[in-house]
Amino acid sequence: MDRRLELEAITKRYGRDKNSITALQDISFTLFAGEFLAIQGPSGSGKSTLLNICGLIDNPSDGDYYLNGVSVAQLGVSERCTYRRRDIGFIFQRHQLIPAMTVYENIAYPLLLNGVTPKQIRHDVNQLLDTMGLEHRRKHLPKQLSGGERQRVGIARALIKRPQLVIADEPSASLDHQHAHAGLQLMRKLNQAYGASFLVASHDPFVIDHCDRKIELLDGRLETPA
Amino acid sequence: MSWLRIALRNVLHDGTRVISTLLIIAVGLTALLVGSGFMLSTYDALQEIAMRSEGHVSIIDDTPDPALGGAHQQLTLSHWQTLQADLWEDERVVRVLPRARFEGMISKGDESAVFFGSGVDPKEEFRVHGPFLRTDGILNPWLTPQETPDVMLGTQLARTLGATTGDLLILHTQNRHAENSEITVQLAGLYHTGTPDIDNHSLMTNLTTVATLLDTDNISQLSIYLQRREASTAVQTFLQNRLDGVTVQTWYQRAELYHKVKALYDRIFGVMGLIILIVVFLAVSNTIALAIHQRREEIATLSALGSSPSRIYANFILEACLIGLAATTIGMLLAYAISNAINLSELMMPAPPGKTEGYPIFIYISWPHYFITSVTLIITVVFASFIATRNATRVSIVKGLS
Ligand SMILES: Nc1ncnc2c1ncn2[C@@H]1O[C@H](COP(=O)(O)OP(=O)(O)OP(=O)(O)O)[C@@H](O)[C@H]1O
Ligand SMILES: [Mg+2]
Repeated sequence: MDRRLELEAITKRYGRDKNSITALQDISFTLFAGEFLAIQGPSGSGKSTLLNICGLIDNPSDGDYYLNGVSVAQLGVSERCTYRRRDIGFIFQRHQLIPAMTVYENIAYPLLLNGVTPKQIRHDVNQLLDTMGLEHRRKHLPKQLSGGERQRVGIARALIKRPQLVIADEPSASLDHQHAHAGLQLMRKLNQAYGASFLVASHDPFVIDHCDRKIELLDGRLETPA
Repeated sequence: MSWLRIALRNVLHDGTRVISTLLIIAVGLTALLVGSGFMLSTYDALQEIAMRSEGHVSIIDDTPDPALGGAHQQLTLSHWQTLQADLWEDERVVRVLPRARFEGMISKGDESAVFFGSGVDPKEEFRVHGPFLRTDGILNPWLTPQETPDVMLGTQLARTLGATTGDLLILHTQNRHAENSEITVQLAGLYHTGTPDIDNHSLMTNLTTVATLLDTDNISQLSIYLQRREASTAVQTFLQNRLDGVTVQTWYQRAELYHKVKALYDRIFGVMGLIILIVVFLAVSNTIALAIHQRREEIATLSALGSSPSRIYANFILEACLIGLAATTIGMLLAYAISNAINLSELMMPAPPGKTEGYPIFIYISWPHYFITSVTLIITVVFASFIATRNATRVSIVKGLS
């Protein structure tokens, strides 16, 4: 199997000298193409920090990692931006929908960024809205949606461009069980359909049970050797 | 779905902030347009006055003539009749008016005053000033060669003398031979220009009266009125190259009042315009900086989704452009409405320096001028948003999302 993401001794420290906090210590693991990997751990164990590094929006203090075999440490700011734009999808814990934009526009935004033609955008977004049962909400603003609907929009926005890597930071944290369940099933369905690799942080046992594999963080260290 | 649509969404979503920014820009533009419209029409009126009183092109002879007494140094242009006849042949020329300036004392009974007089060709002279010289209580016939010569006085000069139309007055001066000379004249009417130097001290009479009084046919100036004012410089150059011993000047070279007032108004309106631009700049950069602070989570999200800093930059500037465009449209309509209201209201312009009274108020409405001013303002707005957005994209994504 192709290695999508490969971490080698990643360490992240905040602050300097005596007061420094080590959020991640010596993290090494591999995420394979099409794999659905859960990161488990209590609050403060470093899950978000790890995901931010894997999603190229944060930098490790030490160690290197490889995205499709390319050393991320060698990438410049604009190259990282390009990777995020084309190849990485983010599902945020608080959804982070753009308040002024409609459901349709929020989902279409990554395609617009990637220079997809308007016709293609219309086709893809409408299809995904259908798949996710959101077509009746397409013209609504985020504030008019329920938490579960917002999460589905957030998932749709992350998946619309069919990224190779999807990063999801506690996607179900703000949802009740039923909605969390639906959201997870959606992600799995799309994982199987598109073959994207998923990296999902959660402390929800239900989510973790439905992943291919899990790794466990405790105080910034990996508990289960990958 | 386009960047424009997204910018529009964000602008409309941010109602109160946008409205306050919009108002500041619109009101600033209105002030700029009405103020500069006033300025331009003042310049225009002063140019008009200068052209009408001096002619588009003037021929003078500024070499002193030692044969003439001190009082006659103004009467240096001789043989002007042939020159006038020649000029009439030129199809660019509409009128050629001789003017003979002289000075002395005027008296009525015990009252007397200094005057600055002009011998003129009356039929034409009183036509060229148009609305800038108003006459009052004129006898008929007037300023024609007749048994008792007659004069027109500036209203204020007549008041000083206590003279009314029909009164007999005496002009005292020195003639060409430096001998005392006087003549009895009838007051044929009054005129009024709003320029105190003229209204307080000037009089006009027929050229023949001057010739009799001073014993010379010389004049001070030949004023040439053209079909088109744009031809002034061409005609001036043409005549200067053809004529020896005289100086040819355009109205622009002789328009002293216009240049003085323009220099003053340019400074006043320049400072006013600068202040308005600075206020708009500060207000816009301030509100945009505030908006960006409120939207830093959104900026972080867009960065995480792969928007480049320049993309985010461009989006904010597009928003500023939309606000600027809407605001300048409102500002232009407002300025247009206010200017028209002022123009229709028959208010008087405040008197410019060197004048005692204003003239009917008129605010220029010129679309090229509106366009240039609006574009200047939009550039200011875009620049302000550029400055305000500059640092927004440098904040770390992780911090913005937390
Ligand atoms: N900017 C920062 N400065 C200092 N310390 C930080 C910073 N961000 C995170 N940390 C610390 O790093 C550690 C890991 O934080 P992180 O947010 O990754 O945990 P988490 O596993 O995502 O927790 P949660 O489940 O509550 O979201 C914590 O001890 C946190 O206090
Ligand atoms: Mg977290």
